[in-house]
Formats: sequence, structure tokens, C-alpha cells
Amino acid sequence: MPPAGLVLALQSDPQSLDPRFGVDANAARLADLLHVALTQPDAAARRRPELAASWEVPDPLTIVFHLRSDFHFADGAPVEANDVRATYLAVLDPALASPKRAALAVLSSIDARDPTTVVMHLREPFAPFLDATGLGILPAARARDPGEVTVGAGPFRVVRAERGERIVLEPNPGYPGGPPRLDPLVVRIVPDEVVRVLELKRGGVQLIEDAPEPEMVDWLARFPHLVVRRGPGSSFDYLALNLRDPRLAQRRVREAIALALDRDAVVRFILGGAARPASGLLAPEHWAYAPARTHRHDPARARRLLERAGYPDPDGPGPLPRFRLVYKTSNQPERRRLAEAIQAALAQIGIALEVRTYEWGTLFADVRSGNFQLCALAWVGIGDPDLYYLAFHSTMRPPAGYNRGGYASPVMDRLMESGRRELDPGRRRAIYARIQRRAARDLPVVPLWWEDRIVVQSQRLRGFEPSPDGDLHGLARAWMEAGEAAQVPEEPPEKEAERESAQAARGGSRAGVGLGASEQQSARSARAADGPPEDLNTE
Amino acid sequence: MTGSLGARRLVLLVPTLLGVVTLVFAFLHLVPGDPVEIMLGESAAPADVAALRRDLGLDRPLPAQYARFLLRAARGDLGQSIAFRTSVARAVAGRYPATLELAGAAFVLALGLALPLGVAAALRPGSAVDRIARLASLAGACLPGFWLGPLLILLFSLRLGWLPVSGRGGLAHLVLPATTLGLGMLAVLVRLVRASMIGALGEDYVRSARAKGAPERRVIAVHALRNALLPVTTVAGLQAGALLAGAIITETIFAWPGLGRLLVQAIDARDYPLVQGCVLAIGLTYVGVNTATDLLHRAIDPRLRDAR
Repeated sequence: MPPAGLVLALQSDPQSLDPRFGVDANAARLADLLHVALTQPDAAARRRPELAASWEVPDPLTIVFHLRSDFHFADGAPVEANDVRATYLAVLDPALASPKRAALAVLSSIDARDPTTVVMHLREPFAPFLDATGLGILPAARARDPGEVTVGAGPFRVVRAERGERIVLEPNPGYPGGPPRLDPLVVRIVPDEVVRVLELKRGGVQLIEDAPEPEMVDWLARFPHLVVRRGPGSSFDYLALNLRDPRLAQRRVREAIALALDRDAVVRFILGGAARPASGLLAPEHWAYAPARTHRHDPARARRLLERAGYPDPDGPGPLPRFRLVYKTSNQPERRRLAEAIQAALAQIGIALEVRTYEWGTLFADVRSGNFQLCALAWVGIGDPDLYYLAFHSTMRPPAGYNRGGYASPVMDRLMESGRRELDPGRRRAIYARIQRRAARDLPVVPLWWEDRIVVQSQRLRGFEPSPDGDLHGLARAWMEAGEAAQVPEEPPEKEAERESAQAARGGSRAGVGLGASEQQSARSARAADGPPEDLNTE
Repeated sequence: MTGSLGARRLVLLVPTLLGVVTLVFAFLHLVPGDPVEIMLGESAAPADVAALRRDLGLDRPLPAQYARFLLRAARGDLGQSIAFRTSVARAVAGRYPATLELAGAAFVLALGLALPLGVAAALRPGSAVDRIARLASLAGACLPGFWLGPLLILLFSLRLGWLPVSGRGGLAHLVLPATTLGLGMLAVLVRLVRASMIGALGEDYVRSARAKGAPERRVIAVHALRNALLPVTTVAGLQAGALLAGAIITETIFAWPGLGRLLVQAIDARDYPLVQGCVLAIGLTYVGVNTATDLLHRAIDPRLRDAR
């Protein structure tokens, strides 16, 4: 079958196609296509072999990786241990100012024992370290180039990068198992959600990974040349609470807020059913997931908790609130709708919520500096459960980490410390089960939901399995079915929406060294970030 | 005379751009958000954050940062983009042609339609042409680009299949974004040309020209239109600047890889050097267009040429 091309639309330009620098969501997605890493995560967030055929841990401070010899860079050179060593050392070099350096801080040295053996020495036992081995490998000779290096050994190579417009890729002929069948693979940057949807309908684009608003998904599902695929996602939405506020410092108040929210209704009416109520950071598909208490909608109990916390309702069913809080959110339409739903829910238990909307950079700066009372955020691309440490350990309060609400619990601190030291998977899992149960009780944040992964694609695209975190590894073995160009009807046919459930993805990946997860204003808008630069930052 | 005016405008260009850059610099640093935190991520070691801050010169007092930026800019060095790790000049130069193409097409479209439509409306006030022109200008002034753009896509791309939905390519790709962007300017200019022409047609010199037996076409084109164009050129110059600002929205809707989108990205990332580079490019264009407008004004109006 002759190769056929595919056009994929992304919301924003990847900040960099260089694995040493790109940390935004779309940079990670392009890294999936251009570069190969020692390991990649699977759907359960376990590390799976990629360039490394296997690895062993002879002692708690040493990891030995045995490399495959059939990976080749796009220029034909084989990928060897020296390339791995040079890439890691470059990222560790402060002069390069790589944002991924912090994730490798525990690495004390790295040796290339022979062309297919890499030995990494750690400063201390550190169970989450494998998450940092998702770093894309560059040729040793280019590893310290200060400019952007795009030569990799992934399934595709860059033909042309017209920033802000399109990136044209072609198959890497040296890719193990044969080059991909999508030729070319064009990544178009289409910032406007409506236009992405219209391009898909017209046939100018054949795949979008950033799910549009629920009503647009339903509309697209009515066209026979398109397929909407839904599957469980790993993005975790939560309500961040500032525990420095004396009211929110009380667990009863936090629990009352959790009980006031009708997650099922919000998921159904605002998210179009595309989410599951969450109990904590880790979704049920995650290897370390353990069931924990979820707070079902119970406003009567929420009111009683507030009474017991010392906040009586001054006028019963009257208009006066027990107290007022400020809820900060971004100016995204869906986030504003969510804010209104939360405002209405809290009004029912006597908490008046003032909603303030901000441009993302300003909101994020406020969140980072602890200048907030309530706001809704999301973690996307969750990998190792050590994220609990980064998000809730008492030493991780900004500016050093993500514990923006200022949660502190000596018990949790000890558990999270042992979770990163424990190398036995079984014992580690037990530790994180305790952490999840305790977090569900303490409520350092109020869990909202795990967002589903929604991918809309041409029916001609075959062999592509979407992943829970939106990575694009699946395109390496996908192809476009031959046939006439899509027949686009003028009006949607009057038939039942055609939907196909996505299988739980295989080969998920978040190539990001760095955080295993990035935090985002809306997981729906892009797997990552929001941020600065058209997603340039880690929202 | 024109030459000395050009020189004077060039001299004025310097304080104008200095003012623009100073304001942008000040406002950017007032807005919350830190480029280094955005660049290195929240898990970065404080030592790394401090080192990068030092490398980028962000640890210096604001006046020192400002002076450093000015000195570099005077040498043509706009610095490095913090977010994209490339030179600002290169990033701006890569996107500038696309914005110029879009704004230029919108300008030509608006002016090219406004002149005949406005003149035709002025020649027969109250006629069907006049009513259509006034209705079109009202609609153009009322329809925001973020609404009109998708509507045009729905009609011309999806329903009729005549034009591509988005992206930059040949002439076909330019039609919808240029129409979206230029319609607002068209609305203003149609009304202005009409009013200006009606005024000119009632002047004594037009009556004299007709009395002397000049052909009607010559009376309209040479005597009336030439005078009516004076306010039109001034407003068109100002509107050209508005086109650059409006291009930010149009570029986002039509996935047009221009300077406006780059500017939005740079602001989100608090990429100070890149924001300044983009604003400088837009400011230079704006001042350049207005200088050209002044020169054109003098070419059209001999009274200005002779004035001291």
C-alpha cells in the first residue's frame, strides 16, 4: 500500500523540538514522534523499555541499562551508550539552562560501559528516578549545541518547521521494525478551537487530540467520515484551597466544600459526561491507585459541618452568608462555567463565592505565590506517584515546589519520604495506598474528576490507539486507509452519533523528564500547559 | 520640501519608538509572572533559578535592565527570546512577512472597495447604491472579527467549498482573513469617502470646472476626488495601525502565522525581550505608515508642499 499522509492539528506551537528544552505539552507530543528515550510509560504509568531493552538495579544507587542496537538517528548513525551519556550530561550542565535539569539532580554520574550499556549512579536511593529516563536522546556530537537540535531516533524526522504554522515530518527510515506508514505527517498549528473543528469537518485535518467543547464533540460525532474516540484519561482536576486562610485550614470546612459539590451534575452538564468523579491524584488505571473515600453530594451534612466548625448561618435560609471566599479562575469559557457551578453549589451551604477571572499568566503567578483562596487547577500527564511528594510535602511549599495551598502533615511527610526511598514495588504500592486514603481524609485539595481522553479522527486513520495522556507514540504504527477523499455532507445526517470507545491506550508516554506531570489550567485545552507561549508554560 | 519632511519624521521616529519601548518595558514588569519560573518549571533548584536569572540579567535593577536593553537595541541586538531560545530578531523576522501580507491585503481590499463605493454613493445620495454602501459600512463596523471569521469559514469553506478554512498559502488562503480584517476599515472609509466627496462636489471649484465645460469624469476624478482624498489618506494611515492590532485576533482565528500570535505567546510566557521585539516591529511599521501617509498628503495637496 503506498504511504499516505496525515494532518494533525495542535492548539499551539511546541516551544521547542529539542528534548533538552521542550517542557510544554506539545513539545512532549512532538518528542514522542522525533526522539527515542530509554524508557516510556505505559497506560498504568509503569516504565516500559524503549531504547533500553532492559535494565537492572544491582544496588540501590546503580541502574544498568542494556540498549537495543537497532535504533538509528535520522542521519543513519546508530544510537549508542555514548549518545545517552552525552545527552544526560548536557542536560545536567548548568550552562545549558535546561528546564529538565532539576529532575536529574539525583544523578551523580553516568558511564557508557560499552556501546549498548549505560550505567547510572544515583546520589541516594530514589524510586521515582525512572520517570526521568523519558528524556529524548540526541547524537553525542550535538548534545551540547546551544541551539535547537531536532535530530532524533524516533519514528519521524523533521523535514520543515515553519514555526507558528506547520511542522512537516517524514518517516525515519532507520526506525526499528520499518519506517512508519504515514508520509508525510504534518502537524498544523490551529489556535482557534472552532476552526480546528471546522478543519476536521472539511477534511483539511484528520486528527485532533485536544478535545473541543462537549457540544462540538457531539456535532462532530454525527459525520460519517469522522470517529470520536473516548477513553479514560489521566488528567486530574481539583479544587485548590489555601490552607493559610484560617477558615480553609479547618478540615471540616474543606470537607463541607467537598460535600457541597455535585460532581455528577457538573460532569454531566458542563463536561458532557466526559469525566469520572475522582478520589485523588491517581486514576484507577494507575499502577499505584488505591480506592479512597469520595465525597458524594450531601449539602445537609456540609451545613452541619460548617456549624460544628464555628460558622453558623446568620439568617438561616436568608441571603446572608456564613462567610465569603474569593475564587480565582482563568478566562477560558469552560473554566468560567465551572466557576459558576461551584459558586452556586457553595451558595447552597451558605458560603458566598466571589469569582474573579484572570489572564493565565497572572492567575498562575497568584497561585504560585499563594495569593488565592480557592481555584480550580488540573494535573496532566501524571507519572510516578511521587507527585504526592511534590504537591503535598511540607518542604514543597513555593518557591520550591507545588504545595501551593501550604498543606503540612508530619505523618504524610514521612509516608511520602518513604515512598520515594522504597524500591520494592509491592511495598511502595502499599505506602501510596495509605497516602491516598489519608489525602482523601485530610483534603489538602478537593478532588473533582479525572477527565476522559477524547480524540476526533478521520475514519480512514487506522492502527492508532489514543493514550490516556494524549501522547502520539501510536502514530508510529498507524496508517491512512486508501480510498476517496472524505465525502463531507452539507448537513449532518440524521442518525445516531457514531462513537467508538477507545481501548485503554498502550504505550502512553510523557516524554517529559521533569515533572512527570504538568499542571494545567484545563486539561481539555492542551495536554499541558497553558501557558506562556501558546502553552508554553506548564499550566 | 518632502525630503526635509521625511528627515524630520525620521528624527521624530526615535523618541516615538523610545516612548513605546519604555511603556512596554514598564508595563511588562508591572504584570505578575516570572519568565525564569516559567522557563525552568517549579521544581527547579533555587540555585539554577538564580543562575539563569543572572545570565539573563533579570537580577539587576530595572533601570539597569532597561539601559542594557536600550544599548543593545541601538546596536541592532534585540536579545534572545527567553521562551523560544532563539534570537528575537530572527523570531520577529520569521513572522513579520505574514502579518505584513495579511494587513497589506486587508488594506488594499478596504481601500480598493471603499473608493468606488464611497464615490458612487456620493454621486447619487439616497439611491440604491448609496443605501447599500451605508448598510455595508454599518454592518462592517458592527461585526467583530471573532464572529465574522468563523461565519465566513462556514459559508465559503464548508458550505460552498470555495476557499480553504485556515492557514497561510496562496491567494485563496488570504481571501477570508483579509476580508475579516479589512471589513472594519472598509466601513470607516466608505462613510468617509462618501461624506468627503459630497462635500467636495458642492465646492465652488467643482462648480467652476463644470461651468468651464470640463468633462464630468474629469470633474469627479481630478477636481472633487483629489480634494476628497485628503482626509481619507489621513484616516487610512491611522486605520493601517489598527489593522496591525486587529491582526492579532484574525491571525488566531485563521491560524495565520504572524506577529500578532507571536506577541500573544510572548506575553503569556512573560518573554520580555520577545514582547519588546514584537512591539518595536509593530511600532516601526505604524510610524512608517504614518510617515508615508504624511508624504502622500503633501504629494496630493500642493498647498502643503509650498507651506513652510
